[in-house]
Formats: sequence, structure tokens, C-alpha cells
Amino acid sequence: MKKLVTLRVNGWEQEVAVQTHHTLLDVLRNEFKLFSVREGCGIGMCGACTVLIDGEPISSCLLLAPLAAGKEITTVEALGQEKLHPIQQAFVDNTAFQCSYCTPGFILTTKRLLEENPDPTPGEVKEYLAGNLCRCGSYLKILDAVLDAAKRLQQEKATA
Amino acid sequence: MASPVGQNVGYIDGGERVRGQVSYVLNAELPGCLTAKVLRSPHAHARILNVDTSKAEKVPGVVAVLSRNDLIDNPELYPYFGPVIRDTPVVAMDKVRFVGDPVAAVAALDEDIAQQALDLIEVEYEELPAVFDPEEALKPGAPILHESFPPQRGATFADIVFNPGEGSNVLNHFKLRKGDVEKGFAEADRVFEHTFRSPPVQHVPLEPHVTMAQVEAGRITIWSGTQTPHVIRAQIADIFQAPLSQVRIIVHTLGGAYGSKCYPKLEPLVSVLAAKAKRPVKLVLRREEDFLTCTKHQSIIHLKTGIDKEGRIVARKATCYFNAGAYSDISPRLIKNGGYATSGPYRIPNVWVDSYAVYTNIVSAGAFRGYGVSQAAWAYESQMDMIAEALGRDPLEYREFNVLHDGDTFCTGETVHDMHYRGLLLDDAKKAINWQDGKEAWWQSPARTASGTKRRGKAITCVIKGSVTPSTSSASCKLNEDGSLNVLTSSVEMGQGAKTALAQLAAEAAALPFEAISISEPDTDSTPYDQQTSSSRTTYSMGTAVTMAVNDAIDQLKALAADQLEISPEDLETRDGRVWVKDSSRSLSYVDVIRRSRVGNILGNGTFATTGGLDPETGQGVGSVHWHHAAAACEVEVDTETGKVDILQFHSSCFAGRVVNPRLCELQIEGSTLFGVGQSLFEEMLYDDGHLSNPNLSDYMIPSFEDVPPRLSVAAIEHSAAGEVHGIGETSVPPVMPCVANAVYNATGVRITELPLTPEKILRALKEQGS
Repeated sequence: MKKLVTLRVNGWEQEVAVQTHHTLLDVLRNEFKLFSVREGCGIGMCGACTVLIDGEPISSCLLLAPLAAGKEITTVEALGQEKLHPIQQAFVDNTAFQCSYCTPGFILTTKRLLEENPDPTPGEVKEYLAGNLCRCGSYLKILDAVLDAAKRLQQEKATA
Repeated sequence: MASPVGQNVGYIDGGERVRGQVSYVLNAELPGCLTAKVLRSPHAHARILNVDTSKAEKVPGVVAVLSRNDLIDNPELYPYFGPVIRDTPVVAMDKVRFVGDPVAAVAALDEDIAQQALDLIEVEYEELPAVFDPEEALKPGAPILHESFPPQRGATFADIVFNPGEGSNVLNHFKLRKGDVEKGFAEADRVFEHTFRSPPVQHVPLEPHVTMAQVEAGRITIWSGTQTPHVIRAQIADIFQAPLSQVRIIVHTLGGAYGSKCYPKLEPLVSVLAAKAKRPVKLVLRREEDFLTCTKHQSIIHLKTGIDKEGRIVARKATCYFNAGAYSDISPRLIKNGGYATSGPYRIPNVWVDSYAVYTNIVSAGAFRGYGVSQAAWAYESQMDMIAEALGRDPLEYREFNVLHDGDTFCTGETVHDMHYRGLLLDDAKKAINWQDGKEAWWQSPARTASGTKRRGKAITCVIKGSVTPSTSSASCKLNEDGSLNVLTSSVEMGQGAKTALAQLAAEAAALPFEAISISEPDTDSTPYDQQTSSSRTTYSMGTAVTMAVNDAIDQLKALAADQLEISPEDLETRDGRVWVKDSSRSLSYVDVIRRSRVGNILGNGTFATTGGLDPETGQGVGSVHWHHAAAACEVEVDTETGKVDILQFHSSCFAGRVVNPRLCELQIEGSTLFGVGQSLFEEMLYDDGHLSNPNLSDYMIPSFEDVPPRLSVAAIEHSAAGEVHGIGETSVPPVMPCVANAVYNATGVRITELPLTPEKILRALKEQGS
């Protein structure tokens, strides 16, 4: 059964007809063509399909699309398309990925982490990001990138 | 301008990677493209009596349904494939051979319609007895999976040694005979016999297997996440009985592979379905289906080792059973590598290896990072510590005593060079964990037994691994009129940084900045032949081919410049994008030379082929163009109340020869180490009567941030005398599992011989130890 739903994605509002059993992941990929959102496991275990809903990281494979109506949905496409966001730049500069399938999920989760906790310890980073899996095993460089991003954001704040 | 080789150049497309813009095949779209779904066998072994697709075909939105009905007696399609032997049907023909074997496929307007149609396909089965364990499968009276072998068609790989066991479940038997092993045992002072087991595990690339195909006007075009585009092209050409020129394989960057995307997987089914639908078709596997594509081989290895009075290993007999699953995939080759690997990096004069690939009714096994060496190293590096204990020797000192040196003979009979265990790898490993000679092993420090529920232990292991030999890579390049360079290769970027490393090598050869280089994606219509992106061979093999291609272009450039400067080409050199007269300030830019000569661009070609191979009866010859080697060191803490193992520290040392990109090397070695950590502690595909019971990331765990050892370090070790690039993509997987197990032993005195080292196994062993 199809249902008309208005979704607010990356600042744009769009009405889409979605099957009621389709997930937000399905709709972001198939209707919005936002390919940074990727299915890894389909059951909320890997974090590859992470998006921000009103700023909070969630697994978009677990949320039925109609339930996302009225919420602010953010994917990595909204971050720094002209100039990279400091978190993205930190991931590039620290080579914090290999195949990079998981990278958008890590970046969005990191964004929320650093909003909640601008100066995390390595242990806090590991705990917060434990729901995002990187099968290539780039975790050490991801940790470096997150700590580096924290510094960059704090500097940015100080000079603003 | 310094060479970018050896520099921490970032990924060539780092910006796209953090913007989520990598063009995985998962994202590929074509107008009118249909969605495919696959109907799979619910039985481990059954004869197919009838397949009725008539109801499915009538579902509105269904464009094509593929089953054996389309393939039986169809002269236009050869319905079997396989990289070595064609034993794998496009969809099941006479039988199904594992739970999940594809039986039929639907192409429809969307996934929901395809699923609805799948449910309407009626299949009549006659269930057959099934067998799941490789040793059981070899017993008389065991159910036979393949009653006969299909006739050999087409070429296979030059290195394959093929001794099939017609009429049994033996898919292939690799033999190695060096010296006189029985005489060796007769003269040995002591003989040790142990058996080691490891389970099937899955690669779990986060991007699943994805293939899209279009068959139009006699041309077959396939977009696929594959590590082996040229193998796919040959196999698809064979199925469609088309010339290679009519088959086009396009590969985008892969979201992880680790061996799982080698050789045909979805491509035969999707292309045949697309041909029937007369429209493009795309198939994306869900995670639970991806578990049905291929696995690491389950293994059972019996190891018998003879030692002389001084502790030298004088004889080794290895009998290896690799569970190949239902179809051949690349098992015929893998059991060779896994077979000869059982000698490890040790000097052994008398060796006898029987290594079997055995058909059983589970998911087919294929290439998996470590490629047979992980199974072998699990056996020989565990046994190495067991022997050291029996002899009262220090495990590190005992390895150094037996390890290969330059000029020694490997079990394949070849003389080895560039061996860096002593003085480099083992020293690095020892230093990293502060190993104290004579004090670290369980038998050297009996005080450990005293008290406490948290027991700590250390271990050091080392391994040797070959790279597929002989093999061939070719590359082309276009030096453009603006001084930029396109490199055309069929090497697949799958996260290992192939494109970045190849661009660094091309920039060095071309004397151009890194930014001037563009590396193609594989497209068999335009990119030259490469055997495969696997076996840790790309930076070495394709890197050499790329360098040769660039040198070819530069030679032509010099010839053109020589005319323009009226000087001999020998008197010219290239630097900073210019051709210089040696020892002079006269020069021309590449741009000027190409524009003035009006050649448009300069085309360069390079082909690099290695030679070697092993004798089919003795396993003697050249196993590898050069040898990859690695060592590992760790410290663990075992909780004797829960059986849980915490890896407190892990260090991997990998020989790299010449490092092209230090940070990418670190990433590869860190990734390999974590692959090993998962396999050490928890990764295991669990079967219940042939049904895989944990095909999801809730029940099958892969390492997360919390599984990273608190102290994890790696070293890509260079050696000035060895300017040659050595692959580092997987050598650091095999040493991990025995390193963890030996450290657990040194902590607790508990020896586990079957992976993974679960708390249940350790608790049980501790209980037995106490009683």
C-alpha cells in the first residue's frame, strides 16, 4: 500500500509516495538518490545506514519511512559539499577509511558525539562509535580522525 | 620534485569517500532496469523433479523467470561455470547441493513484485542424504555430490595442479613430496602428532555482492563488484558462447571484498536472466544471502612432526582436509597454497603433504584473506609451541633455531632469498611486547598457576605466504598533450588503495606530480588484461606493469624530444615534467614535445608476467615469485571465571620490501590483524543440519571498536637490500590466531586446537585441567 509522505531531507521538503513497509533507507536511496546511505546488515547492527533524525544518529534500515515525516533528516550529502566539514577533512587527513562504505555513518555519528561531548577521551570515542562497524578495520585511524576533528571544531569555535 | 613513492599520499579520491560519493556498483542504474530476486533451495541435498514457474510468470510486473527449464537442451547457453572446473550451474539443473543453492530467479519491475513471484514458483524435490564434514564425506558410502566431473572447457590458471578424485567427493588432491619423510621420522628423536581444526567464516564485505547486466545486440555488458573482471569475461563468454570482445565487464570501486568477490558469483545468473528479460537486470544480495556466496574453508589438519636430538625439525607429514562446500570455486588452487604452507617458514628436509579439497553440502568455500595459509598456520604455529614445551625450549628461541635463512630450501625445493625473520621481523615482534627470553612460556614460569582469576600470557608467531605464480598483469597509459597521464589498468580498487599506490608509482616513473595521474576503473573493453586483484599481488605485479607502460611512453617522448632538440635520446633525462639534456639547462616541457610533434598523445604499454609453478606429483618447483612473511606478538588476559580472553596488546610485523605508501600499509596490516582477532575469538559460521543458523550481523559478530586491542601497533618493514615491493594485504592475518591461542596457553596452560577461542571452550578446558 502506498502512502503520500512529506519528508524533510537535508533542508529540502519533498512529498513522496512510499510503500508503508519501506524503510527510510529504501526511500532515501530509491526516491532521493542519496547514495551515502547504505545497507550493511538490514537489522541495525552495522551503522552503515546511519542518518541523523533531528540531530540524533539512527539506523535508517530500522525506521519505516512514514514514521520519519515531520522530522529533520540529515545525510552526509548535507555536510560540506563546497568545502569539506571539519570532520570530513579530519577523516581525509588521517586516512580514516579503506573501502569507505561505512564512512558516512561514522562521520554522522561523530558529528553527534562531538556536539554532546566536544572533547572526548579515546575511550569515550570507542564506546560511542561501537555501533558503527568497519570491516576493513580502520578503527585506529578513525579514532585519530575523531580526536583530530574535535580539536578542529574547538579551534573553529574559539576563532568564531 | 621528490618522488611520491614512500610518501603518505592520501587516497586519490578521499574527498568523494567522505562525501559519500563513491560510485559503488550498488548505486549503478540503467533506464528500464529490472530488479532480480533468487529462489533458493531449502534442502542441503536433493534431486529436482520438477520446476513450475507458470504462476510466477503471470504476476503483473514480472518480466522474466529463469529456471533450469530455460537451460536444459538449450544449444545457445552452456549452463555451467567455475574458474577451474565447470561444476556450478547458472541455476540448479539436476540437483541442489546446499541450503541456499539458487534454483530460480525472477526479474520484475520492483523487489516486492519479484518476491511475490518467487513465492509462486513450485519446485518438487526428492531429498537425498547429505554430508557436511569433509572427513565424513570421504568415508565409503558417503553421499556423492557430483557423480561425474563435467568435461574440461577452456583454459584455467597456469599454476593450477589438478588431481581430481572422480566418483568420490575429492574435488582435488595436492601432493608435495620432498626428501624421504619416513626415513626422517625413523631417524627422529621425537615425533609429535596433533590435529587442528578451524571453522568456515565469512568475509562480510559491508557492500554485499551486486551485479547488473544488459544483453543487447549480441553484446553482454556486466557491471559487477568483482575482484576478477577478466575471469568473469572469460566465463561469461563461455556461457554465451561469445567471443571475448562481445563481453564487457565494468567494475567500480568495491565496498570491501577480502576474497569474497573473486571469480563468478552473481554474474552468470544475472546475465542469463537479463538475456531472457531483454532488459537490464540488477541483483543486490541481502546480508543473509551474502552469507551464501562463499566462505573461508573449514579445515582439519593432521600434523606429524619429527625432531632430532638438537631440536631441528627433520620431517613433517601434513594431511589437510579443506571443506570446499558444494561447488569448486577456487578450491583446487587454494588447497595447494594451504598444503605447502603447512611447512611454515621453517627448514625441513623431509616433507610429505596430502591436501584435499572435499565437496560437502554447505556453502562453497573460496578465496578468503589469508588464502589457506591461515588454516595451515593455525596448525603449525600452535604445534611449534607444543613442541617447544616438550623440549623445554623458549618458543621464540625455538622458532629462530628452525626458521628459514637466505639460501635455505623451502618445502617446494626452491631456494629462498630475502628472508628477514631473524634480525628483523622476530626482533621487531619481540621488542614490541617486551618479550623476556626464557620467562614467557607457561612451562618456564610455573608460578603462574599460583592464584588469581585474571591470568596474563604472551606469544610470538611467524608465517610465510606465497603470491600466485605464474601470473600476468598488463597496463597501458596515455601521456596527454597537457602533460597529464591516464593509466589504464584492470586492477580493482576495493579499499586497499590500489589506485592511489599505482598513481604514486606512475608519477615516479613519469617524473610527474601525483595530481597529474588518473587511474582508470576496470572496463574490459578498454583496460588491458590483469589476472586478478587478489593474492596481495597488485602493487607488485600491476605496479611493475604500470611502471613498464609509463617507461614505454617516456621512451617515445624522449625520441620525439631528441628530434626536436637534435640530440640523441640517450643524452636526455626526465625531471619535473620536462625532458632535459643531461648536464645542461636545455629542456622542453612534455606539453611542448607532444604538441610540436602532433602525435595527439603518447601511448605506452607494459606487460609483467612471472614464471614458476609446481610439479603435479611432487609439489616441487617455484611456488611464489617472492615470499611474503610476517610475525605477530601479543599479550592476553584470560578471566578464568568466565573464560573470556582480552587481547591487551597486539603487534603485527609485516615484511614490505619497499613501502609505496606507509599509511596505506598500516591500514592494510591493521585490517589484517583485526580480521585475525575476529577469527581468533568469535567468528564462526554455525550450521544445523546444513542450515546456516547465524547469517546476520547479530548472531555473526565482526570486530567493532570495542574489540580493538587497547594497544594495537603494526610495522611495515622495509629492507634496503630488497628494493622490490612486497604485497602486505593479507600476510598479517594468519599469524594472529595461533598467536592468541599460544598466549592463552602461556596464561593458563590450556591448549585449544579448534578455533575460535570462545569462553565456553576455555572454561571447559580449564575445568578439565582442574579435575
